[in-house]
Amino acid sequence: MSAAALDRQIRPIYDALDTGSNKSAILACNKLLKKYPKSDLLKSLKALALVRSQKVEESLVLCDEVLASKPTDDSTLTAMMHVLRHLGRHSDMVVMFEDAFKRQPGNEELGVQTFFANVRTGNWKTAQLHATKLKKQFGDDRYVYWGIMCAILQANDHITPPNMCDLLYKLAHRLASSVWSATEFNPDRLHLYLSILRKLHLYDDARTVLDSEQGKSICSRSLACDELRREIWKEKGWLKEEGKLAEERIVHKQDRNWLEFLSVLDATFSSLTSSNEAPDASAREECTQEAARVRILFTKVAEEDGRKDRSGLLALLELEKRARIHDVSSDPSRLVDLLQQYHETFGDKAASYEDLKPYLDMDGEDLTRWISYLDGLPHSSSSLADLQRSINVYKLSRYNLQPSQYTVELEVPRALHLKQEYLEALSLGKDLPKTELQPADDLAILAAQVYVGLYSLSGDKDHLQHAIVFLEYASKKSPQSYLIHLHLIRIYRLLGAPQPALEHYRLLNVKQVQNDTLSHYILNRASDFSLAASGDLTYASECLESSQIYLSNTQEVKKGNTQTNPRRANVRQTADFIVRAFNGEKYSQIPDFIAFEDRLDNSLERDLVKMEHVRMRITHETINSDLIDMELIELKFIFERMHHDNRDFALLPNYQPLGQPSFVTQTTLMRKQPGFGWLSVFLKIYIRALQQASDMDNTVEEKLLIGDRPKPSTGPDNNVPLNDRVSIRRPEELAELTSDELTFYNYATDLADWLAPYHDHTRPPPSVVLAEATKQAELKTGHPLKGLEVPVDSGNGHAKKAEDAPLVKEAPASLVTFFTHMQSRFKALLESNSPSPELLHVASITQEALILLNIETLRFKNQSVIKVHKLGPLAQSFKAIRASAVGILGEMSKDLIALGEGEGTSESRKAFVEQCKDLQGDSNITHDYVLDVAKKVTDARKKVLEGFGKGIARVCTNHA
Amino acid sequence: MSIIRPFRATDLFAFNNINLDVWTETYGISFYLSYLARWPDLCCVQQAPNGPLMGYVIGKAEGTSTEFHGHVTALTVAPEFRRLGLARSMMSFLERVSNDVYGGFFVDLYVRCRNGVAIGMYEGLGYSVYRRVREYYGSLGLGPGGKDDEDAFDMRKPLSRDPFRRSVRPNGRDMIVSAHDVS
Ligand SMILES: CC(C)(COP(=O)(O)OP(=O)(O)OC[C@H]1O[C@@H](n2cnc3c(N)ncnc32)[C@H](O)[C@@H]1OP(=O)(O)O)[C@@H](O)C(=O)NCCC(=O)NCCS
Repeated sequence: MSAAALDRQIRPIYDALDTGSNKSAILACNKLLKKYPKSDLLKSLKALALVRSQKVEESLVLCDEVLASKPTDDSTLTAMMHVLRHLGRHSDMVVMFEDAFKRQPGNEELGVQTFFANVRTGNWKTAQLHATKLKKQFGDDRYVYWGIMCAILQANDHITPPNMCDLLYKLAHRLASSVWSATEFNPDRLHLYLSILRKLHLYDDARTVLDSEQGKSICSRSLACDELRREIWKEKGWLKEEGKLAEERIVHKQDRNWLEFLSVLDATFSSLTSSNEAPDASAREECTQEAARVRILFTKVAEEDGRKDRSGLLALLELEKRARIHDVSSDPSRLVDLLQQYHETFGDKAASYEDLKPYLDMDGEDLTRWISYLDGLPHSSSSLADLQRSINVYKLSRYNLQPSQYTVELEVPRALHLKQEYLEALSLGKDLPKTELQPADDLAILAAQVYVGLYSLSGDKDHLQHAIVFLEYASKKSPQSYLIHLHLIRIYRLLGAPQPALEHYRLLNVKQVQNDTLSHYILNRASDFSLAASGDLTYASECLESSQIYLSNTQEVKKGNTQTNPRRANVRQTADFIVRAFNGEKYSQIPDFIAFEDRLDNSLERDLVKMEHVRMRITHETINSDLIDMELIELKFIFERMHHDNRDFALLPNYQPLGQPSFVTQTTLMRKQPGFGWLSVFLKIYIRALQQASDMDNTVEEKLLIGDRPKPSTGPDNNVPLNDRVSIRRPEELAELTSDELTFYNYATDLADWLAPYHDHTRPPPSVVLAEATKQAELKTGHPLKGLEVPVDSGNGHAKKAEDAPLVKEAPASLVTFFTHMQSRFKALLESNSPSPELLHVASITQEALILLNIETLRFKNQSVIKVHKLGPLAQSFKAIRASAVGILGEMSKDLIALGEGEGTSESRKAFVEQCKDLQGDSNITHDYVLDVAKKVTDARKKVLEGFGKGIARVCTNHA
Repeated sequence: MSIIRPFRATDLFAFNNINLDVWTETYGISFYLSYLARWPDLCCVQQAPNGPLMGYVIGKAEGTSTEFHGHVTALTVAPEFRRLGLARSMMSFLERVSNDVYGGFFVDLYVRCRNGVAIGMYEGLGYSVYRRVREYYGSLGLGPGGKDDEDAFDMRKPLSRDPFRRSVRPNGRDMIVSAHDVS
């Protein structure tokens, strides 16, 4: 066959792959494979098409054939690279390239690809050694820098022991000193070199480089190098020098980077801060004089800049704040003078309030003066500037509102006043296009926060309804305001109306990485609102959708061998960019990319959502061994992760007075924010239950998984075996649970402790489980499971003898009392007319307890297990618990449905409208408009109460 | 008054206050990483002293010979930090790097024809319309914006390597091309 001929025939396969027509690619491969049965390229292309159409097992077979033949040609290697990435077999990729490079050691491209393959797996040590090899062989300096970068990355890797770190940095330093030259102009090489010098505290060496013309020139055009330079100066305590430089930049170059001002300020107080001992009189005197000099400097800047730039005035405020802290302030009235001056100059900028916030923590004379100043200011909305000033004054006054002034009686008129101001100010923006924000928006947000504060003070949910009525109106006027949407989301959820919350969330148009930081606004404790059990999968799908972002960026091990439909492709996107950054020598980016990937892969929100999804899933899916095994594997991986909290709470401003709970706290469901501890507890609950229910012990699991395993965790107890770790209870974790979740945790623990011996006794041995898995896989795919040797069990290969069955113990009393306790919780909430989220929470936890009981007892549904092991009495005792649970849940279900019916009536709407009467009364917020909102809220509450109630009834039927 | 520093990958976790905006697109992760992996020096953020991000610019360098230029891919400032001169200072940063480091002939950018505020600002900064590109953007979905909704202006400003201003022209608004003609 001529190469050209084959080439021509293969082209259509590439085209098919490019356009995603995997089916036709497979067909074309098959055809050609008949002619060229040995072609590695064809096999690898077919493997690629197969893996892309989710046919993992078939792809694995081809993949192994190609790997065994140790390919060296470019096209095959490239195709295989994609296949292996899809399969998560990054280590195999390394081996493949290493082999190829060994066979063609003069091929630089193969050498580079081998390096990249190691980079993809985060195998820094091997990558570093390989870079040295490349340098030796091909001579390019960039390979030395690659090696340096790898040494540093290895040192920074959390699995590297500290003493090793030091050695690695020294190695990096040796390498760097050998290549660094005075003619180097690449800022990223300098950045890399400096980061080593900094880490090794070789500050003087760093300074020599930075003070040279070369260093200065690079820093002047690289923000990254200049940033590092600043950090080095600061760390070493060269504050005075840095201050002088910064002063020059401010004065001569008109540089207004706030960092320059901070440098001047740090220098000003350095005589007091640079030593650990208490400063003596001369140091104080020096500082006082410096402060006076710098004050003149900043004053001049402020005067020159006028309204053009805020730096000068803000620096004066910061100077005064620090002078007070160090007790060198010379004029007790200066702080308030400056605040006033600032407000007069920049009070018409939206940022002014946030600018001033750090300086508002005051008391005594200052506070009195400041408040009376604010009180004396006029409010007007006759121009945009006036309106912004007025808004800022409201915010500032509110910040320092004293507890005696913060009462229900005083707050209600304030809210109404804000409403009035808002409506009047709307005229300023009436001609703006729909794409613009209304300048009056902040007045609406302030009013809403006042109402939420009122709810917090009084517990009266009417205030929340006021907030909703008002914000819905404001949202219509300013549809682009994300802040109004976010406020509405929080308040609707608090009111037990999840549907409109979700609608507003969708209007935010959350995309891509924002899912990670924002989905908590809607998915936090979403299982309490999920109607999955009654067939409405809205929330369950929302969980899956918001999690897509992780799947496309992650490396995950899958239960590929037994699963015909594994999760989506596991291409590590970030790894590709790390490779690109190496290729383009953008070293400054690489640690950031790794940090980014780590934070995304190990995102707390990712796994909180996962947990919520599992909890929803089990309410409507059949619980069988597939579900149990899949979830168990995944939850165990999650349990090993060191999580990062990327949730964006800072997005919501807080306008509650100093010392009061923040708006975020006030709108957190049940005032408990699930975090690391909450996740850990729920993982433990489910891992324990699923482990008991599963036939798959560690040996079996090890055999059935394909792909690379995640790096071992370095958590505090990582040397404690997982089985023991899931039984550890930590007080700080318990603190994140609601009281009902804590009760549930205790219940789950008692249940698992009680049933553990019977599970361990009756679980089939690994050989039986593996044989069954093989059989199933062959039935499904026509291929046997690869590389699977069924182990021979110790003993006679049979399940343990019936005679050794552990004695049947009576069920712990706590299991029954759990349900009666939840019943009385529910009744009490019902009677006290509590807001529905808590009621739903109690119902949802009770339902979860029933489902957990069924997961734990699924194994014993099998009559022969009961018979063979003589576990009849055991089965009887959990039947009794189940019956009592079902009875109690049945009543809850009825109560919820009845409550929901009450919500959906015209009386309830009328009552709503009546309560919000004080908001009506002009042409804007009319009776009909309020009625519409009332309908929206009550319908949403009806829907969730009824839906949840019906769901419980179904769960009871399914699990009875 | 703000901190100017490099755009870092981890800033993607903190840019919601800026990106929850009609004019600002949130791209896939690989979009941002591809810029950072190649033109980190053309990307920067402005940060408030107490932490929140205020705005950012993302740019690249592209083109060959006299077409070599800096390109503003995204420029945006969070609503509460607008009208403080941040966009102005980020544009001058990007122009400086395009000029001093890359030696480009001009800086260019695309902007929705409907985005009056931004167009006005760019004109104030010395940019002029080079051509109008049909259907460059997807619809904003905000009702009748007509052609202005999806069409873009390609705006340019010459740098010091183009002293005779060859990269711009006076009647750019009348030069209409389709989205296929630009890449
Ligand atoms: C366009 C945008 C980036 C301007 O940011 P900014 O930091 O507020 O702009 P600056 O304060 O630096 O303004 C510079 C000049 O532009 C003009 N300008 C900016 N915003 C303006 C507005 N709303 N109305 C009138 N002029 C305006 C002014 O001439 C201003 O100078 P001045 O304040 O001294 O009069 C900002 O409005 C934004 O982020 N919009 C959304 C995203 C976007 O549209 N990006 C551009 C897409 S290509």
